[in-house]
Amino acid sequence: MHYFALLLGPERTLDPDAHSAEMAEYQAFHEKAASAIRAGDALTPSATGVRITGGPDAPTITDGPFAEGAEVAGGYYVFEAENLDEALALARDIPAAKYGAVEVWPTVFYTPPSRPVGTSWLALLLEPPANTNAPGSPEWDAGIAAHQKFGAAAGDRTNGGAALHPPATATTVRVRDGEVLLTDGPYIEGAEVANGFYFIDVSDRDEAVKVASMIPATTVEVRQLMGVSGL
Amino acid sequence: MANLDGVFRREWGPAVAALARWSGDITVAEDAVQEAFAEALNTWPRDGVPHNPGGWIVTVARNRALDRLRRESSRPGKELAAVVDDIRARTDHADVHPVRDDELRMMFTCAHPALDPTSQLALTLRLISGLTVAEIARALLQSEAAVGQRITRAKNKIRHANIPLRVPPAELLPERAPHVLACIYSVFTEGYWSTAGPSAIRDELCDEGVRLAGELCSLMPDERDAHALAALVLLHDSRRQTRVDADGALVPLDEQDRNRWDRSRIARGLDQLALAADATGPYLPQAVIAALHATAPRWEQTDWRAICVAYNRLMEITDSPVARANRALAIGFRDGFTAGLAALDEVADDPRLARSNTVASIRADLLRRTGRRDEALRWYRIALGRNGSGPAREFLRRRVAECAGHR
Repeated sequence: MHYFALLLGPERTLDPDAHSAEMAEYQAFHEKAASAIRAGDALTPSATGVRITGGPDAPTITDGPFAEGAEVAGGYYVFEAENLDEALALARDIPAAKYGAVEVWPTVFYTPPSRPVGTSWLALLLEPPANTNAPGSPEWDAGIAAHQKFGAAAGDRTNGGAALHPPATATTVRVRDGEVLLTDGPYIEGAEVANGFYFIDVSDRDEAVKVASMIPATTVEVRQLMGVSGL
Repeated sequence: MANLDGVFRREWGPAVAALARWSGDITVAEDAVQEAFAEALNTWPRDGVPHNPGGWIVTVARNRALDRLRRESSRPGKELAAVVDDIRARTDHADVHPVRDDELRMMFTCAHPALDPTSQLALTLRLISGLTVAEIARALLQSEAAVGQRITRAKNKIRHANIPLRVPPAELLPERAPHVLACIYSVFTEGYWSTAGPSAIRDELCDEGVRLAGELCSLMPDERDAHALAALVLLHDSRRQTRVDADGALVPLDEQDRNRWDRSRIARGLDQLALAADATGPYLPQAVIAALHATAPRWEQTDWRAICVAYNRLMEITDSPVARANRALAIGFRDGFTAGLAALDEVADDPRLARSNTVASIRADLLRRTGRRDEALRWYRIALGRNGSGPAREFLRRRVAECAGHR
């Protein structure tokens, strides 16, 4: 099955040496985990991102950065793994686990991008935990219908994505002093949590925001992909 | 049929574990075994208990599960449809019967580190020990609704995040086994040191902790830390009947009636300790300390020098402030109570103990033993103002009265 790994942590400014050292760590991880990684990349700084709240009917758009000092999403992966143990073994090797955290989410389904995602946009769907629904429930089915409507309107401006299980199924992985620490649930308790994502394949940010504004979600964070992973 | 309860308790865990292996789904397994037990309650009093009650339960449970899965899979859109095909492919020729590995698999799944420790404990008590949600709620001092929700949530996570139902492969064992040990130890400690709650459920948890530790030893005979854990819980448990008096107050070690300590548990504990040599976890030094107490003929003959050695070893493994505070007490008995007070000062400001009565009780005890009764009284009162179990508070009240009476 497919797992979504969301890399969270403080946004750091690295000097060129530290930056290339970290890039080398990521390259090493990509080589080691090549058979399991289905997608993945770093996100451009949150200052260049956009948050959309209020839903498709009354979207409010806020430019990043979103909150001073908060843990922000810095990258993502999609893994294909046999079970949670395998997914967690991959997550612990992600360099971000050492200075921030990696949330590992089981996907309900994952639609792989049909075209290279390159430096297109990631629309991360965020919900208050109480708003997340279990697959098979009437609320879930209603959500699926709303997303189908969005999919029809967006057409080929979306390029794959995934729906995630509720936050009780997530696991947070951190590595401190070489020791792996697992916690049950998302990284930050009480905050809005990841609930799904789309890749948005358009030529500029305004267009990405326009498409993302139509997504049925409490909050949508739109972040451009760095296109550095080579995956 | 008074013995049905015992049969159920014995057969529950193995049956759920066998059905879980067979169906690949814990919830399916639990529901099916529950139905089989309900049927047993109807038919066994009439027809008698079958020769192989476990086999009977598993067979009936499997049939119930198949019926249910067939029913659910005929409804469109049900997520169990895939499970059914999978099961049918595997089970037409396979006979389900409980095997020992099933239980071990279940222990590792329930104590999976992606589940929070309280959920691990609740799940273990439900799926392996067969306690009802109401019993678990009483044991953990939580509402039934909260415990039920916690267990459902954990089972959903096992299913949806696909936590594997297996004994982890060799390379994962060193990091995963400690979670199973910790979970079993918490079954025991919830009973032995529980903060409150009725005593019947506490006794049951102690018994269950001892049983699970023994079970783990027989399933993983090479796991030294499992033997250390079994030794620790047996040696502690040997004192269960003497550590609380008729008024419900904790009885300190030096006032316990050693003739009433359970000799057979001590003997079994020492046997397990002999198998635990070279264990690297925190249980061995604690078991050694418990063994030194259990084998001292009289309080006055306690080998404090050896106990301090074991505490020093424990300090190399864990930075538990409670262990460090207890070590200060041992130092007090070895080197004099003033030395004990100095050792206690090293841990007194640990923020993790800020709300606990540990440091204040030990300080009061050391002061009382040096004859500084006024200061002791003050610290006993401070200890009473902090969190602690009912029996511990009862004991502190007694000490307050004693110290106040001697003024």
